Amino acid sequence: MINKKFLFFLLFVIVLVLLPFFVSGYWLRVLTQTFLFGAIATGSNIIIGFTGYPAFGNIAFFGIGAYVTGVLTTKYSMPFFATLPFCALTGIIIASLLGIPILRLKGHYFAIATVGVMEAIKELIDNMTELTGGGLGLTLPIMQGEPEYIYKFFYFVMLGSMLFSLLILFIISKIKQGYALRAIRVDEDAASVIGINTPVYKTFSWAISAGLVAITGGIYAYWLSYIDPNTVFGGTYPVKMFAMILLGGGTTVIGPMLGAFILELISEIVWSKFIAIHGMVLGLLIIFIILFLPKGLFETFKGGFSFKKLLSNLRENRL
Amino acid sequence: MILQILINGILLGGFYALIGVGFSLVWGVTNIINLAHGAIALLGSYITYYMFQNLHLDPFLSLPFSFILLFIFGYLIQRYIMNYVVKAQIFMLLILTFGIEIFLVNFMTTFFSADFRSVTPTYAGSSMEFAGVVVPYIRFVVFVICLVVTIIMGLFLEKTWIGKAIRATSLDLEAAMMTGISPRKIYSLTFALGSGLAGLAGSLLSLTQAFSPNIAGGLTLRAFIVAILGGLGRVEGAFLGGVMLGIIETLSSFYIGEGYKNAIAFGLMVFMLIVKPSGLLGRKYYAEVKH
Repeated sequence: MINKKFLFFLLFVIVLVLLPFFVSGYWLRVLTQTFLFGAIATGSNIIIGFTGYPAFGNIAFFGIGAYVTGVLTTKYSMPFFATLPFCALTGIIIASLLGIPILRLKGHYFAIATVGVMEAIKELIDNMTELTGGGLGLTLPIMQGEPEYIYKFFYFVMLGSMLFSLLILFIISKIKQGYALRAIRVDEDAASVIGINTPVYKTFSWAISAGLVAITGGIYAYWLSYIDPNTVFGGTYPVKMFAMILLGGGTTVIGPMLGAFILELISEIVWSKFIAIHGMVLGLLIIFIILFLPKGLFETFKGGFSFKKLLSNLRENRL
Repeated sequence: MILQILINGILLGGFYALIGVGFSLVWGVTNIINLAHGAIALLGSYITYYMFQNLHLDPFLSLPFSFILLFIFGYLIQRYIMNYVVKAQIFMLLILTFGIEIFLVNFMTTFFSADFRSVTPTYAGSSMEFAGVVVPYIRFVVFVICLVVTIIMGLFLEKTWIGKAIRATSLDLEAAMMTGISPRKIYSLTFALGSGLAGLAGSLLSLTQAFSPNIAGGLTLRAFIVAILGGLGRVEGAFLGGVMLGIIETLSSFYIGEGYKNAIAFGLMVFMLIVKPSGLLGRKYYAEVKH
């Protein structure tokens, strides 16, 4: 087990654990945001990268998690950590129920059906004003304590959430059931011929994915202490998540997280100063990734960087 | 009252048909779900808006400009961006078009501002009435234009050489290539047509309601529902789907509540996808056979 890659990863985690004691509050926030995306991308990768089902609307579970924590802490005054299992459970139940009909669809149809589900859930929450505050949003109880402490608290909780998602993904990549998922990605008919119960496995992978994303949503809600349907459902989250998965490589365990680090840190460093054109740059960046780096950064530049590889990527899928 | 609701629904449905027909054509022929469709339609709205505001051109006269400009725009996008990704995994295209959508929406927000705009010519408020049903002139004319354009579109696909080439490509890409059809050109032309139709729809939208860059996503999803209801690449299907969606939306916002309008539309879409993804009038298209 102890090999070079694992040691690198361990070093990476140790650096992340020690970092809050050296950097300012601003960078703590930026890194917490990065972990948030890392957790979402890693969790979603189970269904998107491993099983090969492009769940475009997977952010729905992020919103569901956020609202579960929101409602439980405000209406039932539950402590924050106690709400997280409920987030995961809600995500798993909803994904299992929806998965049975929706996972029969393939490709485009599946992708758009998940978007439809996401929008429908958003509208429902928007209209359940008594429970969720509707369009006005929901204000959660603010955590007590020094700002320093709160920053560090969420930094570590979010880091924990990301590492937990990674761990689950790692386990799935090693066990027999994980191989079944990958068989489904490569060829679903062949997988079912060799005796894999594909509907069960697909639903299982979506449920796990939903549970992980929902936990992250719960943490997000407590972190920002204010949520409304428009921010937790949709916006640019789904496409950012997809760009991260693509950038890092969806078939790997660690890729989506690295993609999240690259995209979030680049976006923070390069264009946080240009608020007005921020969205335009994001759009262009996504177009660029799809055109030149569809296989991911690491797969493309395995043997070193060169522009030729970018161009050959561009030509590969030309009509 | 029920008659008025039905008429409103049908009038709204005409617009949905027009926005859906381009989307459905592009999807059926090239297998691209163009998530930027709504944003492209809004470009058309802004063309009409600025021509009306700055040149005092009657909004209906700006329709050809909006069609032609967005036809060119769509051609360039397909030719120089999309054609490079067409053969990749399907969700690559989905993300690519979403990237274009994000770019366009933010472009419009930056340069045209996020304010709600509307085009109000002098005859905006007038309407005709018979048998107790009120029909605003503009909505009626918009409906007629949508109907005419949809019919022309259908005839174009049935009768002209290019239309036949487009249909051939949608049915079987390899066989079409063997008969000397260049798929690159046909794909570009199809996408250009789709964008042009979106532009027309957008121009007409600016006459009937206020718009801002933020409604792009809603327009795309409606186009999607129309395409799903009617079946891919089918002009008459898109018209049926549009009118159905229009009626369902007005009925549900009257009986259940305005707030649930979207939820019902999305629910309908998911239901339709599960039960009959090929649409009410749908047949198997090349795009579907391939994947």
